[in-house]
Amino acid sequence: MSTPTQTETASKTPLTRVRDLWNDYLPYWFMAPMVLVMVMITFFPGAYDLYLSLIAEPTFNVFEAEFVGLSNFETAFTRGGAFHSFVITITVVVSALLLESALGFVLAALVAGVESGRAKSFYRVLFIVPMAVAPVSLATIGRIMLNSEIGIIPYVIETGTPFAAPNFLSEVPLLTVILLDTWNWTPFMFIIFYAGLSSVPDTLVEASRVDGAPLWRRYVHVIIPYMKTVVFVAVLIRLIDLFRTFGVVYGLTNGGPGTATQLVSINIYEQMFINNQLGVAAAIAIVYLVLVVALCNVIIAKVGFEGVWD
Amino acid sequence: MPSERNRRNFLKATGVGLLGGLAGCTRGGSGSEGGDGSSGDGSTGTGTGSDGELAISLDKYTGADIDWKQFEGTKINIGAVQHPWVSAIKPAVPVFEELTGIDVVWNILPEQQFRTKRQTDVSTGAGQFDVFYMDQVVNQFREEGWIQPLDPYFEDSSLYDEAWYQPDDLFEASKWQAHGGGYSDTWTGIPITVEVQTQFYRKDLYEKHGLEVAETLEQFRQNAKTIHENESDVVGTVGRGQKGYGMNIYILNTFLREHGAKLWDSFPDDSGLDSQGVIDAAEWYTKLLQDYGPEGASTQTWSDVLTTMQEGRAGHIVADANLFWPGLTGEDSKVAENIGIAKAPKPADGTFSPNAFNWQISTSKNASNSEQAFLFMLWASSEPTNTWLHLNSSAAFSVRQSVWENDEFRSRVGDNFAQVTLDSLQEAAPDPFDRKYPEWGQRYSEELQRAIAGQKSAEAAMTQAAKIAEDIYSG
Repeated sequence: MSTPTQTETASKTPLTRVRDLWNDYLPYWFMAPMVLVMVMITFFPGAYDLYLSLIAEPTFNVFEAEFVGLSNFETAFTRGGAFHSFVITITVVVSALLLESALGFVLAALVAGVESGRAKSFYRVLFIVPMAVAPVSLATIGRIMLNSEIGIIPYVIETGTPFAAPNFLSEVPLLTVILLDTWNWTPFMFIIFYAGLSSVPDTLVEASRVDGAPLWRRYVHVIIPYMKTVVFVAVLIRLIDLFRTFGVVYGLTNGGPGTATQLVSINIYEQMFINNQLGVAAAIAIVYLVLVVALCNVIIAKVGFEGVWD
Repeated sequence: MPSERNRRNFLKATGVGLLGGLAGCTRGGSGSEGGDGSSGDGSTGTGTGSDGELAISLDKYTGADIDWKQFEGTKINIGAVQHPWVSAIKPAVPVFEELTGIDVVWNILPEQQFRTKRQTDVSTGAGQFDVFYMDQVVNQFREEGWIQPLDPYFEDSSLYDEAWYQPDDLFEASKWQAHGGGYSDTWTGIPITVEVQTQFYRKDLYEKHGLEVAETLEQFRQNAKTIHENESDVVGTVGRGQKGYGMNIYILNTFLREHGAKLWDSFPDDSGLDSQGVIDAAEWYTKLLQDYGPEGASTQTWSDVLTTMQEGRAGHIVADANLFWPGLTGEDSKVAENIGIAKAPKPADGTFSPNAFNWQISTSKNASNSEQAFLFMLWASSEPTNTWLHLNSSAAFSVRQSVWENDEFRSRVGDNFAQVTLDSLQEAAPDPFDRKYPEWGQRYSEELQRAIAGQKSAEAAMTQAAKIAEDIYSG
């Protein structure tokens, strides 16, 4: 963009000035529609959510709204059970993430080590199937399989082991939720880790083997460091997705018994659609959004890696 | 009590579920089958017969001293949930259109979507729905000033003829709930369906074990014990344990009233949930389900209860007559021939007081066509429409006593079912849905679920529920 002299500016017609403005800021004009769409689909809902969290009853008319300050936030954390649901959510997220990552990697390593191409294809398809099941269907299947009267899992435990089967949905509901999510989403980690393992150069692995490194050292010191970026992306995506978990848990336990499996997402849903507390629901959603975004940013900043954002 | 037969059933169910799950991944399907109806499709019914005659003769309405044609050429929008009443009344809607010259447009949605849309519609003042389904949030809506009271229309002689409408034919319980469950002096809407709790039992098992139909709670428990201990693959009873104000507390509220307790001893200071009557009722219900119910009783929903009974795996239940009777005696039931119905049990020294729930239709203050909406409500809940609807569909939820006394209807649904339901409806005591009932009712149900799951005693659960309910109002 050149700096016009006073003489040049004075001699320009309005049309020329508009044309210059267009030309000078051309990239921004081209970006404008996209930015507008982004504002509409991200900024506006966020701003409206914030607005709802600050008023007593929902209304589109800002001038009629009764602003109550942070009252909805206070209600959320006193009688709204927000703190409890945050604890439940973090427990589920951390446990499921660790399990899914570990199992996904082990499965990927095992399949990568299979020699037969046909067997490899079979295992790949087999391990991906759980991820293809819709959440509500999974919850329904889970309820049937875990049912103490007719479920196959209690039956196998009772007939095939010396232990009595617990009532999964009323005695160990949180563990049940974690295990079901693990079954559902380990395939996702498996796919990404499998792709990552496939990208590790054979020469690198071979060199470490020739150097006498045992299998576990090859993984710990060669393969996993090489896959660091892949692992990080997989964990980050799954982490964000775990915070959004809703359908499977709601379908399986309704967040109960009591509030034993009440994730933040379920709490928001119940405040909104069952208790009709839109302000409280919006307040919890705001806090949740801020915490998840902050957590992800901290992880990205602290762990730090190259080649993902660049 | 796993068995081989159940295992096969499970494998079949899992197979179907898995296929359904995989199918759920596809895009571009038709959405929910059976018509999610979010269509605003106008009246799609066939209110006229093949020879062009209307389903109900207009003479049944034109005798009323009501100016039916005063809004001719206008249109009303009805917001409704997917509900049997909608399917039952739709074929008759052309009668209303012919009678009044008002076009009817339906907006039928799944329940949660409808609640969201209704909330948005009234709270923003959009007034899109002239008529809409109303439920437990009635007093919240009323106190926010969103609901249009109907009394001015009842007082308008061009809109209402008491002699023709026969309001005394409506059940007291239905009228009471339409008045905000005692919280409103005015009509907040007009009741369209009612469900009342009764007892269903297995006649064959009762005969086999020489059991008498329970009139008291103790007999009910003893019968459950006998069946539970002497039958394989059959539990003594099954009941709603899942949280939610239409779930476990909907059943418990019957028993607590029969124990002489009530919700809100003193509104809004004393919820009454920690009174001895409530604690006794909660202890009886939780112990019944724990001792003679299925494993995982705390997670049972009404549909689980229905399925368990249909499969022949429970001795008896307390559930809504109107909702359960078609399911238990229809072709989906394996024990259709052996289902008996009786009034819900009560304590030996208690008062028979079954819970009931009414759906009503209301109109909002911002609706553009509230008077037309009132005419529709009047027509839909009138005796001719109600009787036709119950004789020409599988409906069995009339809010009018005359329908339950109608010989043709009684022969269709069964004399015993009709009489038990009628007796129960005449004594019914619905829940009073105060302004914050959705919030504290949910928390009360969570506490009861914890007690059923054995996580705490019934007394501790109800004491906590009382504190929560009172805090919600004092906070």
